[in-house]
Amino acid sequence: MTVTPSLKWGLIGLAAIVLSLAQAGLFQQDLFNLNGAPLLWKFIVASVHPDFSPELLQTTFNATLTTLAYAVCGTFFSLILGIIGGVLTSEVWWLSFGQPSRFWLLIRGFLAAPRAIHELIWGLFFVNIWGLDPLTAIVAITIPFGAITAKVFSEILDETPRQPLLILLNSGFSPLTAFFYSLLPQAFLNLLSYTFYRFECSIRSAAVLGIIGAGGLGYEIFLSLQSLRYEQLWTFFYALFILNGLVDLSSAWLRRQLGCSSRLDLNLQQTKKKQAPKDIVRRRYFLLLPVSLALLALCFWVINPDFSKLWALRTQQLLGQFVRSALPPDFSEVPRLIPQAIETVSMSVLAIAFSAFGGLLLAFPAANNFFLPGGLLNSNPGKSANLLPQIMLLLSRAILLMCRAIPAPIWALVVLFVMFPGILPGAIALGLHNLGILGRLMAEVIENQDQRPLEALKAQGTPNSLIFLYGVLPLTMPRFVAYSLYRWEVCMRETVIVGLVGAGGLGRSLTEQLSSFDYRSLIVTLGGFLMLTFLVDWVSATARRSLR
Amino acid sequence: MKKILLSGLLFLSVLSLSACSSTTAPEAANPAVQSKTFTTGAIPDQDPEKLQRLYSKLSKYLEAELKVPVVYKPVTDYTAAVTAFKVGDLDMVWFGGLTGVQARLQVPGAEAIAQRDIDSQFHSVFIANKKSGIQPIQDLKGLTALKGHSFTFGSESSTSGRLMPQYFLQQAGVKLEGDFKGQAGFSKNHDATIELVTAGTYDAGVLNEQVWQKRLKEGKVDLNKVEVIWRSPAFFDYHWVMNPSVKERFGADFPQKVQAALMKLDPKVPEQKEILELFGAAKFVPTKNENYATIEKVGREIGKIK
Amino acid sequence: MDLPAPVFELKHVSQQFGQFSALTDISLQIYPGERVALVGSSGAGKSTLLQLLNGTLRSTQGEVWAMGRNLSQLSSKRLRQIQQQIGTIYQQLHLVDNLRVIHNVNAGQLGRWSFLKALTSLIVPLETETAIKALSQVGIAEKVYERTDRLSGGQQQRVAIARVLVQNPIVILADEPIASLDPELSREVMDLLRNLAQQTHRTLIVSLHDVDFARSHCDRIIGLRQGKVLFDAAPHQVSPDLIADLYRLESHR
Repeated sequence: MTVTPSLKWGLIGLAAIVLSLAQAGLFQQDLFNLNGAPLLWKFIVASVHPDFSPELLQTTFNATLTTLAYAVCGTFFSLILGIIGGVLTSEVWWLSFGQPSRFWLLIRGFLAAPRAIHELIWGLFFVNIWGLDPLTAIVAITIPFGAITAKVFSEILDETPRQPLLILLNSGFSPLTAFFYSLLPQAFLNLLSYTFYRFECSIRSAAVLGIIGAGGLGYEIFLSLQSLRYEQLWTFFYALFILNGLVDLSSAWLRRQLGCSSRLDLNLQQTKKKQAPKDIVRRRYFLLLPVSLALLALCFWVINPDFSKLWALRTQQLLGQFVRSALPPDFSEVPRLIPQAIETVSMSVLAIAFSAFGGLLLAFPAANNFFLPGGLLNSNPGKSANLLPQIMLLLSRAILLMCRAIPAPIWALVVLFVMFPGILPGAIALGLHNLGILGRLMAEVIENQDQRPLEALKAQGTPNSLIFLYGVLPLTMPRFVAYSLYRWEVCMRETVIVGLVGAGGLGRSLTEQLSSFDYRSLIVTLGGFLMLTFLVDWVSATARRSLR
Repeated sequence: MKKILLSGLLFLSVLSLSACSSTTAPEAANPAVQSKTFTTGAIPDQDPEKLQRLYSKLSKYLEAELKVPVVYKPVTDYTAAVTAFKVGDLDMVWFGGLTGVQARLQVPGAEAIAQRDIDSQFHSVFIANKKSGIQPIQDLKGLTALKGHSFTFGSESSTSGRLMPQYFLQQAGVKLEGDFKGQAGFSKNHDATIELVTAGTYDAGVLNEQVWQKRLKEGKVDLNKVEVIWRSPAFFDYHWVMNPSVKERFGADFPQKVQAALMKLDPKVPEQKEILELFGAAKFVPTKNENYATIEKVGREIGKIK
Repeated sequence: MDLPAPVFELKHVSQQFGQFSALTDISLQIYPGERVALVGSSGAGKSTLLQLLNGTLRSTQGEVWAMGRNLSQLSSKRLRQIQQQIGTIYQQLHLVDNLRVIHNVNAGQLGRWSFLKALTSLIVPLETETAIKALSQVGIAEKVYERTDRLSGGQQQRVAIARVLVQNPIVILADEPIASLDPELSREVMDLLRNLAQQTHRTLIVSLHDVDFARSHCDRIIGLRQGKVLFDAAPHQVSPDLIADLYRLESHR
């Protein structure tokens, strides 16, 4: 038997997980701290009687509004950055101007750095310059998200069929006109669909930013967790669930209206996608614009960021001060960083393994086309008396929502009740958060899956378990793996933020250096982290390419 | 249909215009608001809820005394308090020993103006869960008894919850890496340390003696589960630090005015008594930057000051 | 004449999809060993009829009997047992295209295999001889370990036939098996299907667009028009007029 790519990468993945478990000290150290179990229990019990006093509800409402506003404003600016950057870094743009230069590659490379640094780190940086102004939160979201959006937009533009553009160019249209009349309308749906997905991500980021004191739900959650007031904590949690749930639902609804079925298309080949009917009602576009404009205006009005700070003299002074205090870099801690770097990678590997496994388990009951009546694997068709599939659907979707709504650092603080600080609690926290995202993406893969091969198996009398084994699993697995690898890159970036609350890895060093105001070492740690991120991105991209 | 749509659009654009104008209005007024408001802050060393109560009372008192609006702005961690002070978000902050030094090193001209009577002779207490089997110890060398147990500090930048205890542990020959069971934790504040050790999450921990005494008095500590095993030697800790920028906004003598107002807090006046009690102090006394030279030295030794 | 029991029997079957009636009041019997062609324009109800026969659809009215059983009254386990006797080759390629050919062929036997055996076979392919034999019958034995999506359209169609061979059913249903193939390949596939049915006395029901193939390869032709049976006759009885009637456009009436 020959060694197929999937076998090779499977073995590599397995080895990585085992090594990471060893690195986490699974086999030698004390990991679990069961003495903390009563505290965890107290935390869980509080979920059934959250604090609904009027004052707290008022606070909750304001905090929710703030979080939403950060997300909306952040998405708005990252969209602007993304459009400009995406067009400038697309090959097709330079092509339509008849410039065969590789200039776009240069800008694309330049955008990799802001993308690799997590929002929270950007936030910590801008706090040093603008203080706790809402501007800090918005810009902290805008920079990395703008860079990611630019990358994805440029890829979408480059993958859109070019013939219509070339026809217009050849018939003497100006490049700009040709671009706007051919390529943009074609790519529009994909761009819009991705924008919605970014907005969902922005909501989660806005919550995370609360942890550095930027206000909103994350901030309130962090404060009540510090004062161990679990009843209040759950009130904020529920607000966060509702906010996330509503945003996810409305963005899914909008996408359906517009006829794009997937949140995030990783452009895998060989997927026979069920073409959604594209009977788009034009009027809906018109509705979308004023509604989003109104929302945007409301959000700016709610948080009222002080844009004058962007060009204020004081900003320049503080920026100069910051730069002076960070230069020259201090490499003295490098020997300590290397083992921590290995820990960080291990943490990301364990996190993604955990969330891929959990996501896989929850994705099937959470998909609406399998166990429900009329679904392919529903064992008693025609009889709707059985409520179990519906309950399972709701339950698994609720779990996924809860997992992704709660920011990873908050999960880390909860996990640290019953575990000693280290990379395993960090990995579990990251795993829990990403499980919610990955599970939802996987459920979507399942819902969009071509049903015909499965119907063929069913027609010949194959039992459900074997339809699953010979049909569902092989058909969906390549996309699951691709999504997991993609989320692995995200996990890697997020290791820093669970490190900030004491979960180990490079994040722990970063916390120490931050609290010692040792920016010279901090910059070295960040540089090392950047290199690790690029390494992980490269491995993930290589694996995805060879697994196609 | 078209008409409705058009009028809707018109309405929305008016709305967004008015929203824009309403955003610009406070923006224009913002510097004025800032210069007129005296913003205080504190390192979040205790339950944030309690801090909120304490500092809103203090703000009210200072507002009456100083005749300027005073607000309290909470932050999420010690480092954030220092950063906010540096950036100018906070005019006067109740810092710990270490954070005060860090803040003054970054803001030239910042001054330590006042501290509590207890702060020149401050202590940490090491506490242990009774089930852990750790016995009370007699002197610094006895800290080796903590080896093999799980242990938590308070915040990374806490003086009484991390800096001085780490210094004492170091002198007793206890290493942070390897000597404890698991890695040492950071509970983030003193109340959390009590809670975590009482619950048994950690066998032992260390915190600010004043918070411990206060919770003891309030009956919040379950002495059947947790006990003090050692009281550390004395050191300088908490103090108020004033940003020099206030002189431009409120007058050159403003720091003296604030200092005087703090000194004037009188246990005989019921409201003021409450404030002092919440601070756990009999009165406030003047202090000066030089008092914290030892803290700075230890800070540099441990690596928390570069 | 003493006829054997029919393989399929439809009794006044109607099928509605919402407002649309796909089939109206169909009654017919199909006997063992018959080679039946279903002809008619797109939307005449050919695919729907096949889906009713293999039990993937339940009729809205009337009864569908297969091998002496009323399909709508069976438990899902009993239904599966009946379905194992019915092999279906589909219009579009209903293969799991990122599995290797061997697994797609073995999928024909899944009705008989235990879970453990099926799982093991995914890792170390089992019963490879049966699969290779079936593949050589359709002429692509050498492709047994290829990934299915690397095969050409015609080869994939053969894999689908090999799967049905391995399933070894009493009846073979084929839903426009040559719709996307060129004339040469179409003839090969149709020959293959006819020979399979003749050699093993299986019943074959195939839906076709091409009336010539229906005449040359089948012994009974059922013409469907707008969900109703227009004619049901032997090839020599189907006149050009009948065919013209079958494909006559709605608006001409």
